[in-house]
Amino acid sequence: MLNYIGHRLLQLIPLLIAISIIIFVIIQLPPGNYLTTYIQQLELSGTAVNQSEVLNLQHQYGLDQPVYVQYFIWMKNILFHWDFGNSFQWQEPVTKVIGDRIGLTMLIAIFSLIFTWVIAIPIGIYSAVRQYSIFDYIFTFIGYIGLAVPNFLIALVIVFYVFDHTGLAISGLFAPEYVGQPWSWGKIVSMLERIWVPVVIVGTAGTAGLIRTTRAMLLDELGKQYVITARAKGVAEKKLLFKYPIRLAINPLVSTIGWTLPALISGSAIVEIVLNLPTTGPVLLNALMNQDMYLAGSFLLILSVLTVIGTLISDILLAWIDPRIRFGGMEE
Amino acid sequence: MRMRKNMLLILTLIIIVSLSLAGCGYSTKSNASAGNSYPNQKVHKAQTSITNGEVSEIKKYYQSPMLENKDLPSVEKRLPKVPKLTNEMPEDELDYHIGRYGGTMNTVTSVVDWDADVFVMNNEPLINTPGIIGEKFTGNVLEGYEESPDHKTFTFHLRDGLKWSDGYPVTMKDFEFAINDVIFNNELTASFPAWLRSGNDPQGKPMTFKVVDPLTFKIAFDKPYPGFLIQLSVKGWRGYNDLLKPYHYLKKYHKKYADQEQLKAEMKKAGVTDWVQLFNKKDIINTELTHRDAQGFPVLNPWMVSKSTDTYTEYTRNPYYFKVDAAGNQLPYIDKIHSTYVQDMEMVNLDMVSGKADFARESAALSKMAMYKKGSKNSNFKVILAKMHLVPTTFYLNLTYKDPVWRKVAGNEKFRKALSLAIPRQEIIDTVYYGLADPSTLIKSDYDPKEANKLLDEMGMKKGKDGMRRAPDGSKFSFTFQIQPASPDFVPMTEIIVQEWRNLGIDVTMKQIDGALWSQRNAANSLQCSMMWIDVNRWYEGSWGQDKFGVLWNKWDTTDGKEGEKPPKDVQHLYDLVNKLYQVPPEEARTEVYQQIKDEVNKHNWFFSPIENVQQPVIVNKKLGNVTGKGYAIALNFSGEQLYYKK
Repeated sequence: MLNYIGHRLLQLIPLLIAISIIIFVIIQLPPGNYLTTYIQQLELSGTAVNQSEVLNLQHQYGLDQPVYVQYFIWMKNILFHWDFGNSFQWQEPVTKVIGDRIGLTMLIAIFSLIFTWVIAIPIGIYSAVRQYSIFDYIFTFIGYIGLAVPNFLIALVIVFYVFDHTGLAISGLFAPEYVGQPWSWGKIVSMLERIWVPVVIVGTAGTAGLIRTTRAMLLDELGKQYVITARAKGVAEKKLLFKYPIRLAINPLVSTIGWTLPALISGSAIVEIVLNLPTTGPVLLNALMNQDMYLAGSFLLILSVLTVIGTLISDILLAWIDPRIRFGGMEE
Repeated sequence: MRMRKNMLLILTLIIIVSLSLAGCGYSTKSNASAGNSYPNQKVHKAQTSITNGEVSEIKKYYQSPMLENKDLPSVEKRLPKVPKLTNEMPEDELDYHIGRYGGTMNTVTSVVDWDADVFVMNNEPLINTPGIIGEKFTGNVLEGYEESPDHKTFTFHLRDGLKWSDGYPVTMKDFEFAINDVIFNNELTASFPAWLRSGNDPQGKPMTFKVVDPLTFKIAFDKPYPGFLIQLSVKGWRGYNDLLKPYHYLKKYHKKYADQEQLKAEMKKAGVTDWVQLFNKKDIINTELTHRDAQGFPVLNPWMVSKSTDTYTEYTRNPYYFKVDAAGNQLPYIDKIHSTYVQDMEMVNLDMVSGKADFARESAALSKMAMYKKGSKNSNFKVILAKMHLVPTTFYLNLTYKDPVWRKVAGNEKFRKALSLAIPRQEIIDTVYYGLADPSTLIKSDYDPKEANKLLDEMGMKKGKDGMRRAPDGSKFSFTFQIQPASPDFVPMTEIIVQEWRNLGIDVTMKQIDGALWSQRNAANSLQCSMMWIDVNRWYEGSWGQDKFGVLWNKWDTTDGKEGEKPPKDVQHLYDLVNKLYQVPPEEARTEVYQQIKDEVNKHNWFFSPIENVQQPVIVNKKLGNVTGKGYAIALNFSGEQLYYKK
């Protein structure tokens, strides 16, 4: 087992180097750089920027150096100083820009995940056990709508509905009086009052998907002979269901941990923009649009590392749970 | 059966609970603008009785209650000996009311560390021109000026006792530092700016600067440059800080003054490798005054950044601000500005219509008027319509685009005239601008597709089998209209025009591209046909689309013939006229030269500016005082220090 893990860890190194290069190149691909966007913004509001200022800014941001030099400086600082560079837009270290927002992002992600599981698994089980019942059809119908409607659209509709009826703009996670204040009991309550909206919205699509998966997995199991045997032997229906098929049906949750880990950090950009949440998703999108390359690059790098680690964890978990995978790996 | 019932019950419960929680989360009503004024504030009698007069008539100065008990010198000691009596708006545009102190103004922006409304409100030039019209020039940061009869030498007077926001006096050393050690330092200023050369000419001789006495300095040019005053007042939103920097704060970052060891330590602390980088980082220029780094930087503006978080920036009044009203109240009236950062332009709109913004100009668009009106019904804001300082939509054919056939066709004045005749101004005004604009008088505004077709036929542009016209030499003729959606009116207007031009048989299509890409392509001469607003309303901006209708010609002009292509005679004449704006006295430039330029544009149709006198909506809190719809919307924005909250 240790051998297997060590082997997998070594494989990560070239992978991560390749990823970092690709990320840097892709961010540089569109014409122009951060300054082009910045100057364009100033000029659009009628502010003159003279040539000397442009040259100064280029020098200040190190944009007058060739791309490969910029890459090596970036990598060197990450590896030796744990310094991901500065964000051009925010004028702050990247670690601070991301760090400030990561708590709330993870909170929303974890809440949505719990919401998804709490809603989806029971419904999935019910739908499978009572296949083709009227409620199965209703849940299936709702599930398909949840799958088909993009999250941000639901968010927009809710924002519009609330505004149209109450004149309130639901934006942000806190009531205005708590924005920028230190944490207090009132602030937590204010957050809990508002956090439900993004949690429910982000959770819906996941819920719909998970209902379908759970239902399908369980239906597979329910038709198997061990279930028939157990039933024939007189095991109570409830005990039978929870003891064997459901435990198997929940397996996909384990194998998707690889995707869950980066999702905890990245959030869901568009929903968060629509709801104007102070989380990481919009920051990443903005960084990419403005070619704020150290912020965007470091962010993507962290996400890649998390995906890779997440995949490793779910592989290890699977190998631990399922002997077939473990022994297959050893023999080779 | 029992199990099914249980599960159904649980499921229903979960759904009901989660939905109700989601629903009730927002039922608690909150009012962002509730704390906008101090209801129990004492107003001195003298403070309200006088609404106009001279500075010399002011007997006593007053300050905001916020500054009392703050361990500051008295307000008389903080103000210069002769403070500036505010005159941002001309008397015929604003009926000035003496305001009340207090409150926080809320604004919204969708750009990190930048809020155009706050920037304009906060901006302080050395000299000002009321209403940003460019007719009258008065002192601002500087107390006054004298211009020599030959328009070559300008003598400027500093306000005695003027102080930076940290209480340090402003001295001649601050000017000397900004001019001799920054502008004339070729490490810090790689290319000497054209506006500080004789006649605003990129090839002109740089200015000379001389300190006369502790309150007087002279700037001289070798040729007449009467336009220098307008350059110092409002052109391109230039602030005071090109020529005036806080020496006491910046000297420790400048190679000439700093201790070498300390400089090295500072460089290390800032994470930069040379002193130029360090200095540029520490020197907060005008466009950076909204940045988070601006905190603690000494300024002369009415408000300064006091707090900057991920979701908002807070600006607090500068206790040493140099302006007063006629009753002797130190400005600004409003204590704080709270600029909320939201993720997206649509969020800005939502915040605006739900009354979370007390002032919004930059993001307000005429095309959203219906939405504002609906929102203002039950809310705390109103919409006023004022003059827009720009013509919001202007089309350009790039006459120097690298395609010989295109150049021949587009270069023909008949072709441009034909296209102009096919623009349905009234339809555009009615559908895109709700009737709140006029057809342009800059170029002929007739709508006559018949005549247009006739002109094209005369050019020899025959229609092919597909109904589209060919170039006179028989080759295929088509082009793309590339626009960036910089403003909500761009796309609908372009759609109308593209359709009309297609009706003439011109094979033109519209393409939307990203803003940064658009700028790149424009600079690289690879746009054929494009759209942008144009600043032709204010004579002194000198912006006549030079860098868009003839990209290579303009390059030739700005690089002294090193790059680009030599412009034809008529275009060169236009350039000369634009330069002349700054080389003759403003009263002549504003009338005669400005008219000559308009005549030339009318004659040659270099660009299509179909409309003018467009109105711009400004969203203001109902309680905001000293608000007017006369004059430019941006001039009202510029006079932010005289806004106040009524009872």
